[in-house]
Amino acid sequence: MKKRIMIFLLTLTMILSLILTGCSSSDEGTSSGAASTEENVDATVDATVEEEPKELVDLTLQLKWLPQSQFMGYYVAQEKGYYEEEGINIEILPGGSDIIPEQQVYNGAADVGVTWVSSLLKYQSQGWELVHVGQPFQKSAMLLVSKADTGIESAEDLAGKKVSNWFGGNEYEILALLESNGLDSEADLELVQQDFTMNQLMNDEVDAASAMTYNEYGLLLEAGYTNEELNVLDMNDEGVAMLQDCLFVSEEWIAENEDLYVRFLRASIKGWADASADPDVAGETVFNVDQSVSKEHQVYMAGEIAKLVVPEGFDPANIGYTDMDAMQQTADLALEYGLLSEEADLSETFVNTSYWEAATK
Amino acid sequence: MKREKIMRVFWPIGFGIAFLLLWEFGIFHDLLNLKPFQLPIPSEIAITLFENYEQAFSDMLITVTGALIGLVIGSFIGFCIAVVATIFPKWGFGGMILVTALNAVPIVALSPIMNLWFTTGMFQKIGVVTVVCMAAMAINAYYGMNDLKPFSLDLMHSSAASRWHIFKKLRLPNSLPNVFTALRINIASAIIAAIISEYFATSTAGLGFGIKDNLRKAEMAMGWSYIVVASIAGVTLYLFIVLVERDVIKWHASQR
Repeated sequence: MKKRIMIFLLTLTMILSLILTGCSSSDEGTSSGAASTEENVDATVDATVEEEPKELVDLTLQLKWLPQSQFMGYYVAQEKGYYEEEGINIEILPGGSDIIPEQQVYNGAADVGVTWVSSLLKYQSQGWELVHVGQPFQKSAMLLVSKADTGIESAEDLAGKKVSNWFGGNEYEILALLESNGLDSEADLELVQQDFTMNQLMNDEVDAASAMTYNEYGLLLEAGYTNEELNVLDMNDEGVAMLQDCLFVSEEWIAENEDLYVRFLRASIKGWADASADPDVAGETVFNVDQSVSKEHQVYMAGEIAKLVVPEGFDPANIGYTDMDAMQQTADLALEYGLLSEEADLSETFVNTSYWEAATK
Repeated sequence: MKREKIMRVFWPIGFGIAFLLLWEFGIFHDLLNLKPFQLPIPSEIAITLFENYEQAFSDMLITVTGALIGLVIGSFIGFCIAVVATIFPKWGFGGMILVTALNAVPIVALSPIMNLWFTTGMFQKIGVVTVVCMAAMAINAYYGMNDLKPFSLDLMHSSAASRWHIFKKLRLPNSLPNVFTALRINIASAIIAAIISEYFATSTAGLGFGIKDNLRKAEMAMGWSYIVVASIAGVTLYLFIVLVERDVIKWHASQR
């Protein structure tokens, strides 16, 4: 019997130590994974340190997706040394299909995150103490694309068709589009999951596929389709646009780092202004950081992103401005089409525009 | 003797209950510094599951159907490869090597490929599970058909048994324990393969999609209730295979 108790205790300590080492190794994982990007930064830091000996503060930015021109403002600011001028040693963490920015920022793996407003609202409503602190994208980039011969010219034409989206929180504009046009997303058509290519649409496995203006639509053009061969439903025109890429932080972090965040935002806005003014160069800058896709695609993407950051008639001095009407529309659509179960709270606790005002003063 | 029996049941159940209680009352949360909205507590998961059981159940049926069909097809193909390799050892063994190589392809790589070949989520799932299930069966069955006791083979030869007779009376029964081992391995990997394939499938049905989609969307309790359903389904199917095995190969040493 004694022996058995010993065995039990032994297993218990083993399990505990496993849990503990599990924790510590995951910490190591993030820091060592970051090390490679740090090296690049260090190299540039060394150069400036000689001229201006100033203590740099570390700040990590978690992207929503892979390094691409979608985030060109941050890469341009990094490349041009705007973060260093503000005393920041920036580290940009790429995202991926299983990296969830909200969770990374909440866990402290990153300080500032980029995500879609609809997704952030959802996390906030579930009790995650996260704050919206800037809105680089003024418009939705979501399109629903179909081949012209499918004859889908309006949302009503989607009845009985096979429509795809990436899901995982990216589907709400499509749901809003369908339901605001009287289509039941379960009964009237088939809604399926889309992978990260456009093959399903090209191979006619689906009739209409979701596409971002700056990425998937470009893939179709690169694959040889012309604008005439494609029918496009633009969420902005359909009145179901939700805000996308925004900046957010955790309540805990911002409480202690208000000044640091304002400096980060100021540098980022400068980066976005430069990038939007000259997207070709910005696309090249991003391509030099990460060569995962072709330079042509990065440059195409940069051009499209610039249209979202500085839309026609938008004053470039207002880059990053949070349009509370668009915010309200996002929240209303999110409530109406099932993303949220109760009305979103857009008070200052959740959407704080004072940092942007301080940064653009 | 009786006391021993009670203790044998008591320890695992007691451990399970203690585990759930520690989880429910936030001890794990304190230990790992997690909030309930990051790791929902068991009662919340149970309530969510209860409220959504119809959806979860229909998703489970889809995943299990795909996993089982794939399991049957994959195991059958694997078995056939073993038979061919046994009857025609000279060239049949090449099939074994091929199937082992296929087995090394990760599911995450296989799923998008199957997406290109099959248009619906169900066929894609069956395709992935089939490939995953072939190797374990081929290797185990081949081993069972060829690892014969020398005297049995001698006996067969001394009574001038034909190759077909040796196969039917000796090799086939001899391979059954290995076949069931392969089935037990396959049932676990079939469920896993089916769930992972749903991460990438052109569909919005199934446990894998439910887990992935809900965890991304901060519906943690819902995601976890899918995880619970997935493990219940896995354990049930495993037990089913174990019971069938017990019945079919009563004569084998492992069952006595």
